[in-house]
Amino acid sequence: MFKMRQTPVTLKKGDPMSWADIVFERLKANQLKVVCYVPDSVLAPLITRAEADPFFTMVPLTREEEGVGVLTGAYLGGWRGVLMMQVSGLGNSVNALASLAIPYQIPFLMLISQRGELGEFNPAQIAMGRAARPVLDALDIQHFTLRRVDEVATLMDGAVKTAYTARRPVALFLSTEMVGWKEEK
Amino acid sequence: MRDKGPINRLEATQHLVSRAPQALIVAGPGNAKFDLAATGDRPQHFYIWNSLGLAPSVGLGLALAQPQQQVIVLDGDGGTLMNPGALVTMARLAPPNLLHIVWDNGQYQLTGGQPTATATVTDLAAMGRGAGLQHVTTVTTLREFEAGLETWLAEPGPWLVVAKIDDSPAPARPPKDPVWIKLRFMETVAASSSYLFLKEDN
Repeated sequence: MFKMRQTPVTLKKGDPMSWADIVFERLKANQLKVVCYVPDSVLAPLITRAEADPFFTMVPLTREEEGVGVLTGAYLGGWRGVLMMQVSGLGNSVNALASLAIPYQIPFLMLISQRGELGEFNPAQIAMGRAARPVLDALDIQHFTLRRVDEVATLMDGAVKTAYTARRPVALFLSTEMVGWKEEK
Repeated sequence: MRDKGPINRLEATQHLVSRAPQALIVAGPGNAKFDLAATGDRPQHFYIWNSLGLAPSVGLGLALAQPQQQVIVLDGDGGTLMNPGALVTMARLAPPNLLHIVWDNGQYQLTGGQPTATATVTDLAAMGRGAGLQHVTTVTTLREFEAGLETWLAEPGPWLVVAKIDDSPAPARPPKDPVWIKLRFMETVAASSSYLFLKEDN
C-alpha cells in the first residue's frame, strides 16, 4: 500500500468530513446505485465504503471501457451509476464513450483520479493525465475538477444533474491538490 | 438439416425469438444484430451499432438492473475476443437471468472473412470456464441449439453458449437511430417493470 497525503476517511465525532465522505454521501443522495470501478489508491477508501453498503451494486471491471457498457445496460434498466477510475482508464474507454454513451445518449458520472499533474512521480502517467481534458473536450463531454473539499458536494450534485439533463456522461476529476499524491520519489 | 452442423444463425435466432418472445435482447455489432432484425424488428431489441466487445457488458448491466427479466446477449466470436474481460465480470457478478450466446464461425465475416483465433487455436467455451462461468456449453447443430435453449431459459445462469455457425450473410438491417432504439427499448422495459425511471428522469 502506498501512503497517501490525504485526510483519513475514518471519522471521529466532530472531525470535518473528508472529500471521500462527501463523495460517498452525494453518490447515495443522487441515487448512483451502480458503482463500476477499476481500483486506484486514491479511490480505494471510497470503494471500500461502498462495498460495505448494500445500497450499492459493485461492479469490479477488468478494463474501464466495460464500465461504459455496464452503465449503459443499467440505465436501460432504470438504474443510475458511476464509473470510478484512474485517468489512464479514461484512455481505455474512449471508443466506448464515442460509440455507445454519446450516440445512444447514456448519462452517468465519471469520477476520475487525476495523475500526471501536481506531485507526480511516474513518468508514464504524465501524457494521459495531460491528454484527459482535451480528449473529453474533443468528445464534447463536460468535465469539472474537485480542488477543495468545500466544493465537493456542489460539484457532485451539479455534475450529476447536468449529466441526466444532457443525457451524456459528465466527468469529475479528483485533483492531487485535494486528495494528495504518492510519497514515492 | 437440423442434425447437421454448422448452425444457420438466422434460423437459430428465429427459433430463439419464438421461444423467448418477452426476453430483452442485446445484439452486438455486425451480423448478430442484422439477423436479429431479420426476425422482425421489435422494441425488445437493443441494437449496438459499433462498440465491438461491449454487448455482454450492456447485457450484464441490464440483467443486474432488471433481475425479473430474461436478458439475452447475441454476439459474435470477434466481439467476444475483443473484450474477453466481459466473461470475467459476468462470472463475478453472475446474474442468473443472463443468457449470452456467441455465434462462432471463426471469422470476421463482415470485413471479408478474415479468420479469428477460434478458427485455429482458441476455444471460447474454455475461456468462459476459465473466467469462472459455471454454465457453459458448445452446440454445433440446430437440434442441439433448440434442445439446449429450453434448459438455458429454464435454469438459472448466467449461461454462456458457443454456437458453431456457418457464414451465411445476414439479409436485413435494423433501424439506425441510436436514440430512437434506446427510447423505444426503455419504454418497453418500463412498461414491464415497477420502476418509474422515465418519469423520474424527465
